[in-house]
Amino acid sequence: MRKYVAAAVAALGLAASAVSASADDWAPPGPIKLMIAFAAGGGADTQARLVADALETRLGWQFIPEQVTGGGGVNLLRAMQDEPNDGTVIGMIVAESLGYNLFTADVGLSPADFTPLTTTAGAQMGIVSRSDTGWSSFEDMIAAGQGGQEIRFGVMSPRLADVAYLLGQAQGVDLNIITVRGGRAVLNGVTAGDMDVGFMAGIQGAGVAAGDLVNLASAMSTPLVQTPDAPLIGDLGIEFSADAFFMFVAPGGMADAPRNALSSAIAEVVSDPETEAGALIQRAFGGPLLIQGADLEALVTQGFDESSVLLDTVSD
Amino acid sequence: MGVLDYIWLGVQAVFWGPEAFTLLGVYVSVTVLMVLAGFLLGIAVGATPGLAGPFAMAISLPILISVFGYSPDALLPIMGFLIGIMKGATIGGAVPAILFNTPGTPDAFMTTLDGFPMAERGQAQKALRIAHFSSAAGDTFSDLVLFVCAPFLAILVEAYLDLPEKAALLILSLSFIAAVIGGSPAKGLISIGLGLLAVYVGTGEDFYPRMSLGSEELSRGFPITTAVLGVLIIGAVFKSLEEYWGERRHLDPAQTPPQAGDQRLHWADIRRLLPYIGRSAVIGTAIGALPGVGSTMAATLGYTVGRGRYQKSKSARDPQFGEGAPEGIAATEAANSSVSGANLIPVLSLGIPGNAAAVFLILAADSLGGFNPGPAVFRFSADFVNPELVVVFGLFTCMVIANLFNWTIGGVFMRSMGFMINIPKSLLLPSVLLLTLTAIYVQETRLEAVWFALGFGVLGYFMRVLAISPLPFVVAFILGKTLEETSRQAYSATGNDPFFLVSSPVALIFMCLSVAVIVLSGRKPKGSAE
Amino acid sequence: MPAVSRSNLILGLVCVAFALGVALIWVPLDTHTGIIERVRGRYSIGDALAPTVATMFILLGGVWLALFERRARSQSVIDGDQLRFISAMTGVVVLGVLIMRYTGPALIELINQFRSDPLEYRLLRNTPGWRHVGFLLGGVFMVTGMVSIVEHGVSRRAVVTGLVATLLLIVVFDLPFEDLLLPPNGDV
Repeated sequence: MRKYVAAAVAALGLAASAVSASADDWAPPGPIKLMIAFAAGGGADTQARLVADALETRLGWQFIPEQVTGGGGVNLLRAMQDEPNDGTVIGMIVAESLGYNLFTADVGLSPADFTPLTTTAGAQMGIVSRSDTGWSSFEDMIAAGQGGQEIRFGVMSPRLADVAYLLGQAQGVDLNIITVRGGRAVLNGVTAGDMDVGFMAGIQGAGVAAGDLVNLASAMSTPLVQTPDAPLIGDLGIEFSADAFFMFVAPGGMADAPRNALSSAIAEVVSDPETEAGALIQRAFGGPLLIQGADLEALVTQGFDESSVLLDTVSD
Repeated sequence: MGVLDYIWLGVQAVFWGPEAFTLLGVYVSVTVLMVLAGFLLGIAVGATPGLAGPFAMAISLPILISVFGYSPDALLPIMGFLIGIMKGATIGGAVPAILFNTPGTPDAFMTTLDGFPMAERGQAQKALRIAHFSSAAGDTFSDLVLFVCAPFLAILVEAYLDLPEKAALLILSLSFIAAVIGGSPAKGLISIGLGLLAVYVGTGEDFYPRMSLGSEELSRGFPITTAVLGVLIIGAVFKSLEEYWGERRHLDPAQTPPQAGDQRLHWADIRRLLPYIGRSAVIGTAIGALPGVGSTMAATLGYTVGRGRYQKSKSARDPQFGEGAPEGIAATEAANSSVSGANLIPVLSLGIPGNAAAVFLILAADSLGGFNPGPAVFRFSADFVNPELVVVFGLFTCMVIANLFNWTIGGVFMRSMGFMINIPKSLLLPSVLLLTLTAIYVQETRLEAVWFALGFGVLGYFMRVLAISPLPFVVAFILGKTLEETSRQAYSATGNDPFFLVSSPVALIFMCLSVAVIVLSGRKPKGSAE
Repeated sequence: MPAVSRSNLILGLVCVAFALGVALIWVPLDTHTGIIERVRGRYSIGDALAPTVATMFILLGGVWLALFERRARSQSVIDGDQLRFISAMTGVVVLGVLIMRYTGPALIELINQFRSDPLEYRLLRNTPGWRHVGFLLGGVFMVTGMVSIVEHGVSRRAVVTGLVATLLLIVVFDLPFEDLLLPPNGDV
């Protein structure tokens, strides 16, 4: 997957991509239910609501946001099953929800049952530790682990736990993997000393800039913007990475007109730093990352299919 | 970023926050307005027998969230309002207690003992002034203790407690609350068990939502608003209405005897009252810092200690406690009001709610996001700003502002609230119930939430009938997930040690205390189950 | 000596039975991971542990009640009057909620009998008028019903209270805010 994503990102760049013009004439037949898979008040939830606000102002479409949390996004996907696909229902999730989480939930659904619309941004996922551990590089941490030190690695999702485990195995270190709820919990845990290192999806920015935290490696298939020299996870012995994308999705079988209209509208507001949504994306992620249409479909399908490989590798 | 920097940031956030506006060229801070509005509402609600501060907090929260939105910017205005209610209600309860011999809030019961006799002698206004002064003094004292202790405690916990100790501390808190609330630790344990069971439905790490009976409605678990509002508010409404329903005769509109004489509070009076206020403030603060022990016990203890001292030092002319002694009012009001600030110590420093008001503050923080009360909040980091810490100091600022309002206009407003007792409960409470259900629906937008809330309401009713206190249920519901997550993490972090709860000395001490507190509480002589 | 109430004993035994039932039957059947699970080469706490611990609290409380508090001086009972009261109140509330849920769609169905181009409640749910009708009727019914039960009789002021309360709620929640949904508009 990581090779694919690297190529896609390189091809698309970080600018808005053009989408077919047939989207222009479509309007929703009624108010649009916006299902949000994230807890109220958090950064992701704010992003979704700001996008809705911007679309309301720009196009006059009405949105009714609704929290549907839990199951790593799978609850939202299941609830979306029975909803109409005429453009009056969309949802915001992370790509992992349609991939690994949907696969392991084993509820008889696959990405083919949904219509992916567009991604909005990619989180700057890094492997981060406190600078007072004395580690300034990934190798330092591995050396400590191989020297017998017990290393507590914080993760915030089951897939990340699997990836961390494989990373440890590949490097010959038996990591103590601690699953917590949400990226902030990893940050808190690392800062408090409950954990030594963990995955952080952009929330490490301020700490790294201040020198309290250090990016040991990039968990994505591309280098970290803040620490471009940190090694990529794919070069550390495993073939899986931890890219994280926010994306919008709709019930399966949606016709092209509503699909393209929604995708391009969302892409537009997210790329425009004049809107609050665009400004948030700029601040938090350094700019939008837009993958749409068939490209996005391929991405999520690959994530789904790759999950069985990941799970098999872990259980060896 | 030192302490002073954060204090200044907190003050700034309150006065020059993102939600401010200008009126006639004068800059107005929305948060300050919210504190004022909440304070006045709190006094009004406290002065209404049958309604208590938590009711007002429960009802205002969804309305406030709708006004301000779900963003962390809304934290200070909304929590400022809730804090205002909290402080207003502690003085409001004395009003009908003094004027009509009916406590407005349960902890004002002891105030009737000396307040009403004073009113009967024509000294009602003076009694109200005494109650207000004592309340405000006790409240301010406990706030100061809070400002100092909460950060200190949080930093201690963060520095010295690892995951297993944190899990053990949570268990100790739950046991403590079970043991001290009500007369029966057994019923407290049952209440906690039910609360934990309720929060574990539909949650869990595995993708299959546990205990959901395969239904989609239960697969997301019970939303926290439904459990908290259902058991605390709807259950209380049902019980209150049932009592009204059962009364064959209803009281006529209450009347106060005519007032005469000098109603002002002189320095001489204040000097005489100060020792009693001081003692009660310390008692109330100490009791308030313990989760689960409430203002009613503080008021009782303050009164009892005050009476003991009074007997020794009073002259023959002075009335006894219970016959209209001003010291009686001072002793009990200072105690029950100094609980309110101290009650926030466990919740702000450890994330453990010790009473209903703290429960609603956690509910607000949970709904809005961006603030997770707990030790992690008090991290004074070197170079970058910790937004949660700014919020805490903003909250402290709100409390200071509320106290200022209390000292200035609190007394006047409180003395004008006598009429609230005449609002018929039979009309008010059903409206409150509809309001609660509507507020729950507006927040959750699914009808199942209403059904769940109703179910919890019926459960809360039966619990009250059986004298099983609902507060441990709610606290267990709130802490249950944290307890499970901390335990899971502790188990992983200690390398799968199954005895992680007892392998470290601190954790072992906490666990032994948990058992001890239940056993000791069970052995004390049993009065009637409260 | 007055007969000692047995209600604590009964309550205790009921709790014990409930706790055992949940711990031994419901939890194992309805969780997919057990108490301890082996994942990624290590053991971790499964989903069943926490609910089982919860039942232990209830079990302990029930045993304590039955053994040590059975002779407590004052014990609480549930009497028939209270059961009747709570059933009546719950019934009124349930009915009120159902009225809120189905009035709108039912009216639409009725109107559709006379229209060639059928309307859909779902698409109309944000328009003023349609979005209030269910809530208004249900809310008035609920409050009036509850007041009437408590006051042992229907009165004009009960109905007025219901109207005032419901209208106030509409004014507070619905009119100022675009995003908020009164029942049942979030579900249809």
